[in-house]
Amino acid sequence: MDSATLPSDVTQWFSAFQRQIRFYFRTMRFVGLLGFVTLVSVAAMAVAIVYGSSATSASDYLYGILGNLPTFGIIVGAFIGGDAIAMDSGGTGYFTLVLPVRRLVLLLGRYAAAFLVSFVLLLVFYAFSIFGAAWLFGAGSIPWTDVGVSVGFAALFALATLATAFLFSAFFRSPAVSMVVTILVLFLAFLFIDGLLVLTTVEPWFSLLYAGEIMALVFEGQPHLTSTTLNGPRHLTITTYHPYLWEGVVILLVYLVVSLVLSAVLFQYRELKG
Amino acid sequence: MTSLSVDGLTKRYNHGRPALEDATFRYEGAGAIGYLGPNGAGKTTTLKLLTHLLRPTQGRARINEIDVTEDPKHALADVGAVIETPEPYPSQTVREAIEMVAEFRSGDLARAGSEIRDLNEKLELPPLDQRTGRLSKGQRQRVVIAAALIRDPRVIILDEPTNGLDPKERILIRNLLRELKKDHLILMSSHLMQEVTEICDQVIFINQGKILLRDSVEHVATRFQTRSVDAEFATPIVVDRIRALGPVVKDAVVVGERRFRITFDGSNDARAEILKGLVSLGPVLSYSNSSLMLEDAYLSLIAANGGSAGS
Repeated sequence: MDSATLPSDVTQWFSAFQRQIRFYFRTMRFVGLLGFVTLVSVAAMAVAIVYGSSATSASDYLYGILGNLPTFGIIVGAFIGGDAIAMDSGGTGYFTLVLPVRRLVLLLGRYAAAFLVSFVLLLVFYAFSIFGAAWLFGAGSIPWTDVGVSVGFAALFALATLATAFLFSAFFRSPAVSMVVTILVLFLAFLFIDGLLVLTTVEPWFSLLYAGEIMALVFEGQPHLTSTTLNGPRHLTITTYHPYLWEGVVILLVYLVVSLVLSAVLFQYRELKG
Repeated sequence: MTSLSVDGLTKRYNHGRPALEDATFRYEGAGAIGYLGPNGAGKTTTLKLLTHLLRPTQGRARINEIDVTEDPKHALADVGAVIETPEPYPSQTVREAIEMVAEFRSGDLARAGSEIRDLNEKLELPPLDQRTGRLSKGQRQRVVIAAALIRDPRVIILDEPTNGLDPKERILIRNLLRELKKDHLILMSSHLMQEVTEICDQVIFINQGKILLRDSVEHVATRFQTRSVDAEFATPIVVDRIRALGPVVKDAVVVGERRFRITFDGSNDARAEILKGLVSLGPVLSYSNSSLMLEDAYLSLIAANGGSAGS
């Protein structure tokens, strides 16, 4: 065996991809999340069918139900990608990182596997949502072009979320800590900040959750800025922003590129000092 | 030709004292090199620099003439390494863990099956379909050694390979390494002098990040030759009779029932002369160096270097 018989980067990328897919199935992460998404989707659909929906059309229904997709997508991304690099910090790093494979190839193989698994989970959510819309408003009422665009945005959202999760995982040496911090930051921190910002006039252009709204906004355009003043002992003005579609795409692209490049650099220069 | 070299290799953590300073050595062809030093001497740092787990502050590490930092993929193409305590992913089975390594080294998985069977026989691996997360420390160590050896890499880098193994497992690994060194280049760190003496042809002593000595085990043994032997008789002997054997015996003391420690000038001629004399005194049950040769050298070098060899 010598360097002449080494598999190409593409072959090794595919090996890393396959192994990571198997890892997601073997650790029950995929099955667990699939159960979660099925449960949530069926419950939302059942409530709409049994108790009736306030939606006036299939587009309106899809706008409402897919409004939850950013939150769900972030949970999926954090669980799937939250330890992707940290998993090679301890003993497993000593097993894997001495192999004749570029770290970038390992990272991209895992990233592709994480994307496939996350995207399948998002598609399951879409499938149940479309089924619910078809049940309530008829199969002919489904706006398939908008669905296609929304699914494209969902793919971009998954790629951006996973890249961010990979970046977090590059900072930590414990897979468990890495995953917990990723979930806390991506999910709770963004939710908290977005919640606070409605009391200000600051547009949350830096938030993944905010950018992810475009997956639902495809179905029903919303004004970019809405201000509502609540009457009470103190007049409280709530400012709600909705991203322009192009704006959401740009935010997601920036997250994707910056996070992925930084993850690759951190992984490349990571040392196992132990 | 298979080669392994480091040239002015230095590693400094956080601007402190170098963990490794200006290390230089080169080995070619087949054989086994023992890398000895107390804890924190820089052994593992060197092995990590050779396997791209660390990046050098200065200097170069090359394997088969390929720079490890510049082109790790090709430098490590023909290397099997066990550094620190590697662990396969706990969700993988023994077979999957070894196959993964085989797959990254060469896409041909068809041949891996027979190689795994072969390694299974040599290393008495745990059941191949068992998850590695459920293995004992010794079982896991045998699995990672098997993974290091799959695809028969010519260069083998081992960091205390028998650490955590029971005596039977140690003998198994020792015998395997003795066999492998005939046509592989092995660099192994160890605390066990006996192990290095039995396996290695060359030895490197390191302390406080600096290489103190590089030589063949034979030369080191001669240089730090032991100057005492232990002899055991089947019947009681008066110690004065040993002292009276002649000028080759400088002194003799009783160290146990029918056991004596005899001091001499350290030469092989004197050693043979003493044995001849002892046999004339009565039936000799055993005759051996009173301590291991490398251990003498190790302690002497570390002491001269002002370091502790307590580990």
